[in-house]
Amino acid sequence: MKKQLIQLEINNRVYEVPVNPRDLLVDVIRKKVGLTGTKKGCGQGDCGACTVLIDGAPVLSCITLAIACQGKKITTIEGLADDRGNLHPIQQAFVDHGAVQCGFCTPGMILTAKALLDRNPQPGEAEIKRGIAGNICRCTGYKKIVEAISAAAATISKGVVK
Amino acid sequence: MYLNHFEYYAPRTAGEAFELVGRLGDQAKVLAGGTDLMLILKEKLIKPQYLIDINGVKEFQGIAYAAGKGAVIGAATKISEVEHSAIIRDKYFALYQAAGELGSVQVRAMATIGGNSCHASPAAETPTPLVTLRARVVIKSAAGERQLPLEDFILGNRKTVLGVGEILTGFILPEPAPRSASRYAYIGLRNAMEIDAVNMAVNLVLEDDGRTIKDLRLVMGSVAPRPLISAEVPAILVGQEFGSELVGKAAAAAAGEARPISDIRASAEYRREMVAVLARRLLQEAFDAAREV
Repeated sequence: MKKQLIQLEINNRVYEVPVNPRDLLVDVIRKKVGLTGTKKGCGQGDCGACTVLIDGAPVLSCITLAIACQGKKITTIEGLADDRGNLHPIQQAFVDHGAVQCGFCTPGMILTAKALLDRNPQPGEAEIKRGIAGNICRCTGYKKIVEAISAAAATISKGVVK
Repeated sequence: MYLNHFEYYAPRTAGEAFELVGRLGDQAKVLAGGTDLMLILKEKLIKPQYLIDINGVKEFQGIAYAAGKGAVIGAATKISEVEHSAIIRDKYFALYQAAGELGSVQVRAMATIGGNSCHASPAAETPTPLVTLRARVVIKSAAGERQLPLEDFILGNRKTVLGVGEILTGFILPEPAPRSASRYAYIGLRNAMEIDAVNMAVNLVLEDDGRTIKDLRLVMGSVAPRPLISAEVPAILVGQEFGSELVGKAAAAAAGEARPISDIRASAEYRREMVAVLARRLLQEAFDAAREV
């Protein structure tokens, strides 16, 4: 089947990529665009590792067609740090609180956390747990992740960064 | 793992969508949220030649409410929009609860309320409260429109009445009766990304005295091939004053009506027990809430 040239806006940059209609967003981001921060876990929309933000909403890129994402703003983990390379407060909090172990779930976890804090800037512990319920971590036991998100919320709400 | 090849269409208007489903017929599948469709495409359970992505069709999206008339929910409205809608929470609480329990935050951001009924899984979350709230579905094609109650739309496991060339475009929810309340609950193995072993919704309407049950609907999910509307629970409770003895009798009757199977998620015996538990709990919660309205 013939490939089509589509434009994908990822982290405020437009990429032109040739795709088949059947190509999944996660594969296009990783293999064609070359941004390998987005992870492919279960491939069935269950584990949350492939989460990216599309127009601000957390979306499972392993069950999303790349061709359906034209004209939308896609954010991957590579798009969170600022231009000078300073980590986003959520990323920094994950480092500071030991919320990263093997790291495979971390990009999806952080983007899901960002979507949560964008909607609810000061979530309680139960709200955080509910917010990340679609992201599986097999290392940490989640405790440090929840603490990191809570700390990031506090940092962000001080208004220093957004 | 690659999907099979297909051609991809993204209509921008309802008219274009109806033209495409009419022309491409049963070789095409409509893509809404994709949280079910993409999985069965990956498993190669179906091999459509064409996908028609309706996410760009504005007419199929959104929640509109008119006081005294009720709500219209577009079929391609995301579950997360239903979950966060103040009007759904205020007027159709059982649907708000079910929307918030579906999948995970990612699945709710992707999945649509229409897709949940069209996929017609017996364990689906939203058809149970929608049937309880007496939702009607709007089905359109290039030829015209028809409406029917949601319980007549879902025929069984992954079967609906949707014909070739037709698209489910929305749900019509009647205005809730005065002194009424609806509640939803489920039994599952964990709190997210689980498939319900049993789910249930109740809509209860009280008489002016605040004690006598004027009208009642109890619908069970995941215990029959499609949403199961209890006949016996209203027969026991309507016209009666609310009381724990009658509620116990009604819960036992609901358990008797359920037709569960044993599978990897729960045994039939357990499901039947849980029907009684949920019925007791939801009847009490809906009664308490209806008194506060």
